[in-house]
Amino acid sequence: MSITSFYFLCFFAAALLIYYVIPKKAQWGFLLLLSIAYFMTSAEVKDGGGWYLICYPAVAVAAVYIAARVIDRTKEQKRKRAALICAVIFCVGLLCTLKFLGLPLLVPMGISFYTLTLMGYLFDVYYEIGRVQTNYFKLLLFGCYFPTMISGPIVKYKEMEGQMFEGHDLDYRRVTWGMQRMLWGFFKKLVIAERMAVIANQIFNNYTDYDGFMIWIGAIAFTFQLYADFAGCMDIVLGISECFGIILPENFDAPFLARNISEYWRRWHMTLGTWLREYLFYPLLRTKFFMTLPKKLKEKVGKKKAKQITTFSAMFILWFTIGYWHGGTWNFIIGSGLLHWFYIVSGELMEPVFVKWRAKLHINVDSKGFIFFQRLRTFLLVTLGLIFFRSATVPDALRMIGRGFSAFNPQVLVNGAVFELGLDWVEVVIAIVSIVIFEWVTVKQQKGWMRERLEKMPVALRWIILYALLFYVICWASTDRDTAHQSSFIRILRFKNPVSGNWRLGNDVCDRQE
Amino acid sequence: MTREEVFEKLNEVFQDVFDDESITVTDTTTSDDIEDWDSLEHINLMAAVEFEFGIKFSMGQVVTMKNVGEMVDIILEKIG
Repeated sequence: MSITSFYFLCFFAAALLIYYVIPKKAQWGFLLLLSIAYFMTSAEVKDGGGWYLICYPAVAVAAVYIAARVIDRTKEQKRKRAALICAVIFCVGLLCTLKFLGLPLLVPMGISFYTLTLMGYLFDVYYEIGRVQTNYFKLLLFGCYFPTMISGPIVKYKEMEGQMFEGHDLDYRRVTWGMQRMLWGFFKKLVIAERMAVIANQIFNNYTDYDGFMIWIGAIAFTFQLYADFAGCMDIVLGISECFGIILPENFDAPFLARNISEYWRRWHMTLGTWLREYLFYPLLRTKFFMTLPKKLKEKVGKKKAKQITTFSAMFILWFTIGYWHGGTWNFIIGSGLLHWFYIVSGELMEPVFVKWRAKLHINVDSKGFIFFQRLRTFLLVTLGLIFFRSATVPDALRMIGRGFSAFNPQVLVNGAVFELGLDWVEVVIAIVSIVIFEWVTVKQQKGWMRERLEKMPVALRWIILYALLFYVICWASTDRDTAHQSSFIRILRFKNPVSGNWRLGNDVCDRQE
Repeated sequence: MTREEVFEKLNEVFQDVFDDESITVTDTTTSDDIEDWDSLEHINLMAAVEFEFGIKFSMGQVVTMKNVGEMVDIILEKIG
């Protein structure tokens, strides 16, 4: 069940109603039931492997549960370590085998996310930072909480235990905030991402027909598609959870305001970054090999260089893992991994040169113009990586980038060629207006929630804004309105036109297809 | 080793790691007070402290330490 489908909204509304009616003690159990129900209706179960896919998370949680209990009970360091290693090998092994060996029918929903979430819990118990959970079903809920199953965020047990298992009273403000956030997510996902997808698909799937600026238009469209889709999905997920009284960690913080690649990764998919830093990068740096490396290198290359080489080698492993986690093939390993490692390392190594250049050119690093330049540069570097990410193979990506430099044709921006990519001029205008609204709100939200501002507005104005957004989403959600694959939650609101066979809202004003 | 002696030794470690002779740490010093003390430098610092005092922090201690005072408490506990 897609979170943008109409049935999901019905499921959510019914769930919310029951959640606040039943006794508070039963709420977590109810959330567990919902999570199982949600898992059972996932596309993976229905169109893929069947009901037994539920065994994967159930067994993974069992393995982590047992290992954590052993670690907690025994005093012997060796046994603790053995329990940790067994559980990690089992869970990570399962993830790698299923996801990256090309067995799509056998992969359950959310495995990349719940595996990391559960590993984080186990490491916390092992490092004695977190408490052990003695109730298997509570741990199962923590691992399989349905909003986070789809695409994260990766949650920490410490942040969840207080909220997840104790009951919540109905809080009007929290529920409305949650719903507002969901609406904002639908806006990003259905209005922006689905439009950008049309352009991106057209160009990426037929890149040999395009060159020069058209390639870059496709690449930038994909960057916005991915961002709006992922960030929108996070808004929906965090909004859903907020309605249940459970605040999940943020995953995005205006990534395209980042002035360099390191900052970008502190703003994009933040919970993945935090997880890898705490549970992979730091422990890696504290292994014997990396601890002694600077001392070995010190005499040969000096203290500063020795430190840099150590850090950069550990980062190489980190970025390789990030890339591998995203998909397991080279286009992911390069596009969302090693290319970023290269950006960061070369940026650090070139920094002394850049300092000289800036001094020569009399650039004020805090000036608005320079900050804009840095942001644009970061955005374009990320976009370049995403060409690999979106392409089928690395050679395809390289050929596509080559075509991007093979012609200089800025005239395509004005001669109407962009309207030949699957979106007519109205659609393009809607897409651009929506992106501008999206970015404007994102920038404004750096200084606090838009929802807080809404609250302070006069009631009438607030309702006008919210309804305007709602109808904007309903009218402009998705583009190809008559295809079966559309995930739009308004599909059911429309009835099928008996003559044209098109899905319509029932109101011609909103439907420009005829 | 007394608390003062630990602080004295620790000062040298900090000055060495951050390449800054002017650093003097106190109980309440945190990463906010030293410009270069980011998460990465924290791991380097931990390694240097461990080497200097011949101890080993647990990963839990590494990530939960709140200020230098807490670090000194842990060091005293380990060497005492």
